Order: sequence, then C-alpha cells, then structure tokens
Amino acid sequence: MGRKAKFDDEKKVKKGPGRKARKQADPIFKKGLIEEDNDIKKLSHRQKQRAARRAKKKTELAEKRKLLKQAKKNVAKQKEVVHPDNSDDSSEDEEVQGFTDDNKEWLKPKQKGKSVQKEPETESDSGHEGSDAKGDSIDEDEIDKPGNEKYKLGTLDDLFKDSDEENGDVDSDDEATGSSNKLAYNSDSEEEKSDDDDDGDDDMLPIEKANLKLKKKQKLDKKLADEEMQLNIAKQDVFAFPSEEELQNPTSLQDVLQRIKDVVVVLSDFSSLKEDGRSRCEYTDLLLKDLCVYYSYNEFLMEVLMQIFPVQELMEFLEASEVARPVTIRTNSLKTRRRDLAQALINRGVNLDPVGKWSKVGLVVYSSTVPIGATPEYLAGHYILQGASSFLPVMALAPQENERILDMCAAPGGKASHIAAIMKNTGALFANDANKDRTKAIVGNFHRLGVVNAVICNYDGRQFPDVIKGFDRVLLDAPCTGTGVIAKDPSVKTTKDQKDIQRCFNLQRQLLLAAIDCCNAKSSTGGYIVYSTCSILPEENEWVVNYALKRRNVKLVPVGLDFGTEGFVKYRHHRFHPSLKLTRRFYPHTHNMDGFFVAKLKKFSNVIPEPVKDEDDEETENKEKDEQPKEKAEEQSKENADKKSEVEEPKKQKNIKSNPLKRPANSSETQLPKKKKKPRKQKTKK
Amino acid sequence: MKILSEQRTKILFEKLTKYIGVNVKLLIDRPDGTYCFREKKDRVYYISERLLRLAQTVKPDHLISAGTCFGKFTKTNKFRLHITALTYIAPYAPFKIWVKPSAEQQFLYGHHVIKSGLGRITENTPKYQGVVVNTMSDIPIGFGVAARTTAECRHADPLATIAFHQADIGEYIRSEDTLT
Amino acid sequence: MDIVNEILEREQKKAEKYKPITVEKHLDLEFDVGSLLAFDTNDLDTKSLHSQKDVYLHTLSRDNAQLLLNKVWELPTERIDEAIVVRLPPPTTVLPRAKPVPKPKPLTKWQEFAKAKGITKKKKDKSQWDEQLQKWVPLYGFRKAAAEKEKNWLIEVPQNVDPMTDMYEKKASEKTEKVAKNELQRLKNIARARKVKIPRVGIPITSDKASATQLATAATVAKASTASLGKFQDKLPKEKEARGKGIHEIIPGKERKRKAPLPTPQAERENNLNLLDSILNKRPKIDMDRAVSKYIHDEQVQRSEEKKNLKPSKGRFKGKGKGNVTNFSAKKPKAGRGQRNPSKKNPGRKRR
Repeated sequence: MGRKAKFDDEKKVKKGPGRKARKQADPIFKKGLIEEDNDIKKLSHRQKQRAARRAKKKTELAEKRKLLKQAKKNVAKQKEVVHPDNSDDSSEDEEVQGFTDDNKEWLKPKQKGKSVQKEPETESDSGHEGSDAKGDSIDEDEIDKPGNEKYKLGTLDDLFKDSDEENGDVDSDDEATGSSNKLAYNSDSEEEKSDDDDDGDDDMLPIEKANLKLKKKQKLDKKLADEEMQLNIAKQDVFAFPSEEELQNPTSLQDVLQRIKDVVVVLSDFSSLKEDGRSRCEYTDLLLKDLCVYYSYNEFLMEVLMQIFPVQELMEFLEASEVARPVTIRTNSLKTRRRDLAQALINRGVNLDPVGKWSKVGLVVYSSTVPIGATPEYLAGHYILQGASSFLPVMALAPQENERILDMCAAPGGKASHIAAIMKNTGALFANDANKDRTKAIVGNFHRLGVVNAVICNYDGRQFPDVIKGFDRVLLDAPCTGTGVIAKDPSVKTTKDQKDIQRCFNLQRQLLLAAIDCCNAKSSTGGYIVYSTCSILPEENEWVVNYALKRRNVKLVPVGLDFGTEGFVKYRHHRFHPSLKLTRRFYPHTHNMDGFFVAKLKKFSNVIPEPVKDEDDEETENKEKDEQPKEKAEEQSKENADKKSEVEEPKKQKNIKSNPLKRPANSSETQLPKKKKKPRKQKTKK
Repeated sequence: MKILSEQRTKILFEKLTKYIGVNVKLLIDRPDGTYCFREKKDRVYYISERLLRLAQTVKPDHLISAGTCFGKFTKTNKFRLHITALTYIAPYAPFKIWVKPSAEQQFLYGHHVIKSGLGRITENTPKYQGVVVNTMSDIPIGFGVAARTTAECRHADPLATIAFHQADIGEYIRSEDTLT
Repeated sequence: MDIVNEILEREQKKAEKYKPITVEKHLDLEFDVGSLLAFDTNDLDTKSLHSQKDVYLHTLSRDNAQLLLNKVWELPTERIDEAIVVRLPPPTTVLPRAKPVPKPKPLTKWQEFAKAKGITKKKKDKSQWDEQLQKWVPLYGFRKAAAEKEKNWLIEVPQNVDPMTDMYEKKASEKTEKVAKNELQRLKNIARARKVKIPRVGIPITSDKASATQLATAATVAKASTASLGKFQDKLPKEKEARGKGIHEIIPGKERKRKAPLPTPQAERENNLNLLDSILNKRPKIDMDRAVSKYIHDEQVQRSEEKKNLKPSKGRFKGKGKGNVTNFSAKKPKAGRGQRNPSKKNPGRKRR
C-alpha cells in the first residue's frame, strides 16, 4: 500500500479548504421560483404620485423662498438705487431714433442724462439685475399705455419718472401722487431735483442724505464731463475705429452703446464715413461683438440675426425684443361678445382697448387692478390670455363650420380653442400635443371655454398620419427656437446654437410633412394646412415650407392677413420658391406683437410623390389634377435648376432633378422612371 | 372609451337629476344628433356620437379627453360631478342661487355660500336640492347643494350656510391637474 | 565546371525564388516574441498604398513576418522528437481578455453581517492541545473524531434529564442537526444570491402543492363542470368565485357571455331614456318638504295680507256689508213654509 505514486507531477491538485471534502454542487431551482431581476422595488402608482407631489411642493417652496429673498433685497435696494430701473427703457426709445435723423443735437443731451442713470446699474451686481428687470417689465405692463398716451403731452422724462414713482411706493394712492408728481416734473430740471429731495428726506438717516448729496454732485460732474465729451465728438464727427487695446479692455456698457451707434452710422453711409484701410467686414465684426456684449446674446444668434435684418432694423428688433409685448386677451365668442366682455372687465377696473381692426375678438390690456388671469369672467371662460400673434395662424386657417380640423401641437390650447370658437362648436376638432403634461392644460382650457367638439390626444405629431387622416384643415404651430419671443424668454439669447436650430428644423420638417399627410386634398371646403412658428429664423420657416413644397403636393396660397411683411425668397445662399412671398412674417418692432411666421398651404393631391405608389385610385386622381397646376410646375422646375447651390442634402437634390416625380404635376409619361411605369401601363391596357 | 354599465348609468343619472331634474332627458334626446355618455378611466364624458366615432380611432393610451367631462366615479362607486359639467348643467338647472359680488371670490376659493353673500335664490328651493351658483350678472360660477329651503333662508342668520359648495370655476386654476 | 555552374545556377534560381531574409527598415520594429507580435512604426508609403493596395500590403506583411521570424530564430533552440523547437519567453504585451471579468460572488448572510460589524476572520490553529488526553488534537477530521471517542468513553447523564436517555444518540443527533442547519443556511445563501423566492418558513411551493388561488380556481372550475354548468350547485355562505387573468376562460359555460354587443346609438338612447324614466318616476310625486314649505309660505302670505287689510278697517266693513247685499245664495231655509217650486232646486233643504 503506502502513498500513491505521483506519476504526473505536472498536474497540480488544487489547494484550499475542503480539498478532500467532496464539494456539493449548487442546487437547481425551478424556473417558477426565480424572481424577476429587478432589485429596486417599483413604486406603486399612488406612491409615484405622492413622490411627484412632494417634489413639486419642494421646488415651489424653494422658489417662493427665493422670491421672498429677492423681494426683500429689492426693497432694500430700491431706496438706494431708484434710477437704474427705468434706465433701460428710457434709453431704448431714444437710441432707436437717435441716429435715424439728423436731430442728434437735441437728442444727445438727454442721452447723457440717461447714461448717468445707467451708471449705478452697471455697478450693481448682476444678481439683482434680473429681478430688477422683472420688476421693470411688470411695471411696464401696467404703465405702458397710459405712458404712451401721455407721451405727446409731457416729455419723455416725466413718463419715466412717473413709472419710477409708482415703483417706489405702489401702495400709496397712485393717482394723487402721480398727478402731483407729473406736474412737478413738467417744470424744468432744477425744480425736479428739489422735488426729488423733498420726497426723499422725509425719513432718511443723515448718512444717507450725505450719500445722496455726494451722488448728486457726482452726477453733475459726470454730466458736465459728458457734455464736454459729446461736444468733442460732435466736432470730431467721424467715428474712429477702436484700437486693439480698446477692444480688449472691457469698457462700460455705455461706451459700448455709443460705439454701436457710431458703427451703425458709419455703416449707413459707409463710403464717406469709413476710416481708410478699414473694410466693411471689420466694422460689422465690431458691431457684432458689441451687440453681443450689450444685449447679451451669444455670437451665433447675433450673427444669424444680422443676416436677417439690415443694421438699422436689427437695432430696432433688438430693442423691441427687450420689452415685453402688451398683454392681450381673446374673447371667447362661444360664451360672450367682445363688447359685453369689455364692459364687464372695465367694471372690474381693467383698462383695455380693441387690439386692432384686424381682429374682432382681441383686446389689449393696458393695466388692471385685478389679476387678469383670475377674474370670474376668466374662470367662466369668457376670455383667454393669448398673445396677439397667436390669433394670426387661426385667422389664416379660416376654419369653417362642420369641418374636421387638427391642431397638431395644441398645448396649451389657445389656438385650438380659437378654432373651436370660430367653428361654433360644430364639426370635430382634434387637439394633439406630444407632451402629456401639457395636454392637461388643453383639457382645462377647453372645458373652461366650453369647447365640446374636441378630442384631445397625446401623440408625437410625426405619427399622427398613422392614427387618423382626412382632415379638412390642419394647423401646425411647430415647436421652435423661440427667437420671436425673446422678450418672453430671454434665455433664448444665449442658449441657442446651430445644433439647436438644426434639431428644430428637422423636427419641423417632419411635422409639416405629417401635417400635410393628415390633410385631405379632396375635401370640398378645405385641404389647407397652416404652418406657423414663433421664430423669425428663415431656417425654421421658409426653408421648412420650401422643403415641404418639394416633397408633397402642396402649393402656397395667400395667408389672408393684410399686414405683415412678406416671407423671404432669398436668404444667404438659399433661393426659395418664389411663391414663398405669400407667407407672412411678423416682427416685434414693426407690428408690436411677438415675432411670428405664418404660411398657408393648399394640398392639391393626396399622392405622396417620393415613395413608390401602389394606390391606383390616387393615380387617376393625380392625372385629373395634372392640368390645374401646370404653370406652377414650370416655375418649380426652373427653381429646381436654381437650387443647384443648395448645400443641404445635395444627394436629394439630385434625386429631384433626375426624378421629376417629385412633382407629379409636371411629370409626363416619358419621364417616368421604370418603377412607376408599370402600373400605368397596366392602366392603359385596361 | 367604454360604454357605461347599467349600474353606473343609473348612478350618473340619479346625480344629474339632482341638479337638472327632468332636463336630463334633454341631454340624451337632442335634436342636433345623438349624444351619449362614455367612460374612460372612471371619468364620464358626454360626447356626440359623431365625434365619438372619430375619437375611437385614437388609441386609449393616447386619448386624453373627448367631448365634455362630466365627472368621475370614485373608488366607492359614487359619482362626483366636476366643474367641467357646468357648461351643460347651468342652462338646464331649475334651481339657482345668485351671490353678491362681494361673496363671489369667497365661493371661488371653495367656500360655502353664506346668508350674507346671498343675492337671490329661486323660489321654493327644497332642502338638499342641487343648485347652480351664479353671479349677479348671471355668470354661472359653480354648483352646490342647498342647505336650506328658500323659506328657511329668509330667517337664517347672516353667517348661516345657504348652499354647500360642490364645485366652482376656481378649480380650473386650483386643481387643473386633477380636473379630468 | 559545367556541373558546378549548373549547381550554382540552380542555387541562384532557388535563391531568386525566395526572397532574402534580410529586410531593411527605416525604423526598427518593436517585438514581443512571447506573443509573436511585431509593431511596425514606420510610415506607410501612401503612394503605393493607393496605386496597388493589395500588393503593397502583402509585401509589407511578408517583410515584417520575416523580421519576426528572424527574431524567433535568435532564441536558443531545442530538439524534441526530431523537431526543432523554440521556447518562447513570457509575453510582455498585456492582451485584453476575451471574456468579461467575473462578477464578485455575492456575500453570504454571515459575511454581510461580519462586514457590517467589522468582524474579521481569526486564524485558528489547526490543532489544539487537549489537557485530558495530553496530546495535540486537530480541530476537525478523523483524528478529532477518534480523539472525541477516546475522551467520551463515558458520558454522564445530567440530573435534570431522564436517566434512560442515550447520551451518545443525543450527541449524534445534535451533530446531524448542526450539519443540516449548515446545509440549510448554505442553500439559503445561494437562493438569496440567485434571487429565488423562498418562504420564511417551510419549503418553497412547487407544482405538487397548489396555491390558494390555484385551489380556488380548481374548485370553481370543478363546480361548473356539471351537465348544467354548475347551475344547481350549492354555495357556501361566503364563497367567492375565483377571479383573475385567464380564469374566466377556463370556467365552462362562461366564455359565451363574455361580451355583450355594443348597442347602436339609437338603442343606447332608448335604454338611457327608459332608465331615466324609471329614475324620475321613483321620485315622490308629492314632495312633503315642498308642500309643507308651500303651506307655510301661503300662511305667511295670508297673514301679511290680513295685516295689510287690518289697517283700513273701514274698507273691511264696507266690503262685508256689500257682500251681504249681494249674497242671495245663502238664504235661510224656510222649512216647507214657503211656496214649493218643484222645478227649482233648493240646496239648503233635505229632500225626502
């Protein structure tokens, strides 16, 4: 016996616990016993709801606290810095005019006054700037209109002082103080100062008084200095291009503004005012940078804007984008009439006016003593808060009674309810939105406004043609970058870049194609699609429409609005279809509403040109329709030739040229590719 | 969109008759088309038959609402009328209460109507009758249940509740999320 | 001479056939002979790469392979079974592994506990000095068992235990218990690691033991499985039918009732109207509250009117007098004393 001989010592026996013990294999479990592999226990529906509510509450609380803090700070601040608030808007109105005409002389001194006021703002930390601006805008809502009315009577100064006063002590009886102040301010500036003093030193510590005095003195000094400088500038008259150091060293906003104005002047008469050896390019670059600094845009967006507008208009646009548009409401014609509503609201202390001759349901609210979004009339659905620009697409759509209409991106339901009101609750209205949370707003608004003919659904707009088709009219208010509503959401200024725009217009194209697919060309009353955005970028507007023109059997028709500027036909290297003139653009600076774009398309055939078709009936229909848009087709073919230069999708472009099927209108038998020919041949045989 | 079971239809009608009495018939028997009640996620929608056919093309998961939401069935299978039904309740209601302008706001915040805020009340309103609450300018702002008869109202003290709050149009703001 | 030339020529031809084993490179290659790897850091000749890709790449790879083989031949060779063999050095390049890194084993319950408490394993000696036996006894194994046997040649029965108990048996059973417990814990750990549902006590339910719902379903199905589809079967006081997904379908006689056809709009309207009628009819015709309140109301009105009429008392009297004048109907009955007129009916009199 003895130990076993180790014949192959190469093979190593594993060491470790239980070397000799026979290890038992792990047991095998039955399949039914093994649980699903989710470690985290799923929250129940209720739990989820509770969690969401908790989170919401928390954020709200935090926000409230923040606001409270800010308000406190503001109150503290307001005593010291009363002026910076109105400096913004005061400067706007002037600088727009300042250099348009030759009356530089008499406008400049005022500008100085403003610049003095501006000073403290630049000094104050940026943290408060936002809140200040907010307060400002609210103020403006209230004061805007009466101010404008008084405009002709008093000077600009008293307007701003007026608003200022109300800013300071809103709670005091406005009318009495307001009127008295106004009287005081109408007198010359010296009196004004004394008035200021009187107002101030009721309850001031001695140190504050001293501070005030010092400030006044500084102001005076500065004013004098400015005057001197202005004099110099006036003499000099020619704008000197800043040197490198000047550019690199950060300057005050006031200087930047001055420089912007100068450059604008130079650019307006470039040949005579330019500095030798400087190209136009250099000036525009300088302007771009300065504008970015002054209005705090990112360079990309500013560059795009500069391409859209001429310099003078750009300045106007930028200024207009800083100011919020007046609050407008739309009368719900299902429940009341405009006159009755206006009367009811006036009784509640709301100051309003009709929005203009073009709308029979719009009202502009200048000021209100009650929250306009919580009056019993509002809750009873007699009106809805809606921007004036939002009326336009619906008016362009011109819905008829007993039609079937789709609003593809409906939330929060303002436009859709407008459609329902025009249809007088007949027919069928589909209000769709991709965002489920926002559909709740549609539901609320529809019920409030008494819309009963609506179906509210939650689809991605691009899938909508799969769900239901055959609408008489389709409204597509596409999601966009929001460059037309910068006043509402200033974050657009800095956050948007090329990628965002590209993402936007890609989505818009798909949505527009989907919208066209949903529409029924054979409808006796309709077959119209209205495309609108609140953006002013041609990439999101004309280009998208142009894209759809090429890919679907649609044509542009007049929008039906007698104002607004025409859409672009040329933009940079793009050459759009000439009928794009029929689209309408709206700008904040020219039409006093949010920047907007509206295009109305008519679908003339249900055939989708690009993919292979197998529906014979559509083909026949196609033939019938051939004659109708013949002239159009010619134009189209010409334009296709023009479009060689288009950078985007050169391959697809090629397709178009080789494949005239894109527009079935100008397709003739001989040109048809083989794939297409087959069914037709069969037809002829039959 | 489900058809309501007979039991639920009964509960619904019983509730509606409390507010609009025999006028419920007018809701069903309409000259301008067939209207019906449908149920989705316990909510009851009043919808024209024509629109319903269109709405049925939308998948249930994606359908948010169609027609007018009348209210919902609670977990205990009672029907609760929502403010959204006011569009149809208000014109048909035989019994109404008008509140003074000073009390409008109170009611819109979800409080009961008290005697001091009462402007007018329909004659012969029985106790616990469903009533529509209007402003003095005849804008319906909600509905409630009469806590006293008209005769009793005359002699009630100023702080006594005249109508129990059921729903008011302030809910459009207060509880937009849970409305439908 | 010829032969020599011939041989030389042949050799040359042979040599021409094969390419030379020396390769010139601008930069030396980097080798990892252990894994038969060579890195060529030289730039590619782009011109020839474009013009004749295949040929170029082919020659390049040949050259580099040649260099690698040269390197291999520099290593010491051995001869094993008539074959020349090279022992490669250990590889220096770290190659990525083909399979993913194995996941760490899940901790057992004890390990988890120890980790949480910070208990570390103490190394125990393999054997212990036994005072009684005066020798080293291992902690486990057959020597331990033997030592135990030697030690416990006699076990005292404690006072409080039944004197007839077999202490040896008891001990053995304790041991088996321990082993079993250990085994159970091992299985539990494995089950936990694999996320297997196990009951807190007892053994997991498998197909041989049905669950409550299964039993309920079976009972319901069995009950309905009569010729009359369970119509005449008795019911327990609080018996409930099994419910759940897919159960309805397996109960006989149930499927057909599944869905009532949707009524047409007209039919639905009729149904609704009928239902509504029944509801409306059920309501009391006479509303007691209303009647009472109306009565009260009328009373109040009457009273207030009386009050109003009280004031002008003159008018009241006047009215009454006037009434007396005009009131012909209420004549005093004459009780047969007056003239009789059979054609005229006298209301105040009883006729016999």
